[in-house]
Amino acid sequence: MTFLFYLLAAVAILSALMVVFSRSPINSVIFLIICFLSIAGHYILLNAQFLAVVHIIVYTGAIMVLFLFVIMLLNLNTSNEPHKSQLTRITAVITGGLLLLVLIAATKDAVLIQAKNPADYNIGLVKQIGQTLFKQFLLPFEISSVLFISAMVGAVMLGKKDSKKN
Amino acid sequence: MRLEDFLLMRHELLLTLIAIIILIAEIFTDDFKKQGIRPLSIILMAIVTIVGFLPAPTGTLFGGMYQATDMRLMMKNILNIGALIVFIQSASWLKSDDNQNKVSEFFLLLISTLIGMNFMISSGDFLMFYLGLELATIPIAALAAYDRYSNKSSEAGIKLILISALSSGILLYGISMIYGTVGSVYFDKVSVAYGATPLQIMSFIFFFTGMAFKISIVPFHLWTADVYEGAPVNVTSYLSVVSKGAAVFIFSIMLVTVFQNIAAMWKDVMWITAAITMTLGNLFAMRQNNLKRFLAFSSISQAGFIMLGIIGGSELGMAAVVYYILVYIFSNLGAFGVIAAISNASGGKENMSDYDGLYKTNPALSLTLTLALFSLAGIPPVAGFFGKFFLFTAVAEKGYWWLLTIAVLNTIISLYYYLLPVKAMFINKAETSIAYFKSDGWTKVGLIICVAGMVIVGFASVIFEYIRTLSFGL
Amino acid sequence: MSSESLILFFIVGVFLVGGAIVFSTFVPPSSVNPNKSDTYECGIPTKGLSWLQFNVGYYLFAILFLIFDVETVFIFPWAVVMKQLGMVAFIEILIFFVILGLGLLYAWKKHALIWE
Repeated sequence: MTFLFYLLAAVAILSALMVVFSRSPINSVIFLIICFLSIAGHYILLNAQFLAVVHIIVYTGAIMVLFLFVIMLLNLNTSNEPHKSQLTRITAVITGGLLLLVLIAATKDAVLIQAKNPADYNIGLVKQIGQTLFKQFLLPFEISSVLFISAMVGAVMLGKKDSKKN
Repeated sequence: MRLEDFLLMRHELLLTLIAIIILIAEIFTDDFKKQGIRPLSIILMAIVTIVGFLPAPTGTLFGGMYQATDMRLMMKNILNIGALIVFIQSASWLKSDDNQNKVSEFFLLLISTLIGMNFMISSGDFLMFYLGLELATIPIAALAAYDRYSNKSSEAGIKLILISALSSGILLYGISMIYGTVGSVYFDKVSVAYGATPLQIMSFIFFFTGMAFKISIVPFHLWTADVYEGAPVNVTSYLSVVSKGAAVFIFSIMLVTVFQNIAAMWKDVMWITAAITMTLGNLFAMRQNNLKRFLAFSSISQAGFIMLGIIGGSELGMAAVVYYILVYIFSNLGAFGVIAAISNASGGKENMSDYDGLYKTNPALSLTLTLALFSLAGIPPVAGFFGKFFLFTAVAEKGYWWLLTIAVLNTIISLYYYLLPVKAMFINKAETSIAYFKSDGWTKVGLIICVAGMVIVGFASVIFEYIRTLSFGL
Repeated sequence: MSSESLILFFIVGVFLVGGAIVFSTFVPPSSVNPNKSDTYECGIPTKGLSWLQFNVGYYLFAILFLIFDVETVFIFPWAVVMKQLGMVAFIEILIFFVILGLGLLYAWKKHALIWE
């Protein structure tokens, strides 16, 4: 298990770094997909099987397609990427490094709570999710439908061509 | 679920209901009947606002996930008033040719953000809180880009969505650390178990940063001016008043309940950021010529003042914050209402120099804007003075004398720039000032409500006393 | 399933895929020339950038698809526990359906489902 964890973590971190370092935005998206897949692997290690599958279907499937569309919409080329000055880069590295340092220092001494029953393989099954979703978390579930509909209305409003303006 | 349980959630349920009614009206009516959607939405919103004030039971639902206390209901009512005024003020703007075929979308998206804000204020756990926050910010980004044929509006939309995604990410990271160290997302459990281990402090800093983006507190304010300038005036007014008010409300509740164990720590953080926010907001506001940018920086500085009440941490402090937001709604919406009316009538004139000699041509509008700016500055006869006074008392009560000094100095600085537009309207001579125009009924009603609010809320001490009986502190 | 078998599965997977790649680099004869790595476009030499701007309509369809994709994710757990939770859960999912159905009707009415 630990071996798998470290392997997946290494893949996730490496691919996340590649997302930032790739020159072409398309390559970034492909690396992001790899990153998401390895995170789905982490979900499986945590006994959250349903979540892992949903993560693959929604994030690596649908949302990445959306990402690709947006990149194609924007008509990005390597030539029109804004030039960043040396000073900006150095500042970014220093601030990012400091944040990393503080985060490592904070997590090093952290007292984490124990998982309630780590050996319970049923916890991530669809049945369990359904039970909690439709009893305990009913209200957030219904609110999410309002969120979806407002996203839909917003997208149609912004994305639809005006028939009059043409 | 019993029937009484629905009564607890009446704000949210009624808002959802009118959102669905508007959607059905949009789907099933023809182009001619769509004219009716505008007045229909405003009337429905007015009904919801009034119904919100009716006495109703309080309690908790879903095992503490949803909490309806008197204070939270009061906050929701204040937000409803703000949204209603924005609705009324937008009516004449929505009638123009460009906007006519997306009227119901405007109302629908505004109402869904309001639903999100109400759920956020009533939240008893981090999941509900986060979902409410998302619902309150995502549709607003679509509204900021409402004016589809203006580049600035699109820029405002994309900036707002990117910034809110970034800040939500930071916030969620903080929440995940809280969950990791406490093992629960419910506010009551977290408040008991929350200590001051390094990771918990870190989680608070992430949480604070995320909220600071939403309230636009200074190191995280850079998006504000561009978004406020680019978005349509009515969306800007909603963003600067109702969105900000909702975030301040839930933040002040969470600081004194969830994070009460580290109160000494967050007070220090807030002390410094409040001082910087007031000062920098003021300094930048002085240099602005575009009135929307001007009000954007003024709203940043106002956020600094609002934080004074939160730093107090007492029940007086919370009452002062809620009262100040109520006053701020009327004052800022009054100012934005005038700017919107003038911008619509004159074809987008929003610079301070355009207002030269406005008093000669449009006396009523100039007087309203003057009153609103006086209220924002805190000049005695209007409500803003009392609001600032209570905020200062809340801080003085706890002995923050240095902070009080900085705040008073900033009030004096702010007097200078709030009087600049007043000087332009009354004293400056102009060869071609904006010609006289007649505002339509909706605009008048909106402005009258704002003026009445500024005067009545200031003089009726009952309102503050009532809010004070509901509030609670550390 | 124990973790040993997972690890074994993983190692065999890596070995098979990696082996195939290594095998195919060494075994076949290789020839490198610029024409071979050129973009193939009906046999005609390529002109300009092949990166062209997409129609915004694709985005609209993608986001509509995404919303209903997430909807199915929610329906699946409901379908599994439907019998145990009974009528209450049915009403809950019905509300969810009606609200999202109105969204679809809205998109339909606004002609967002027609390709222009």
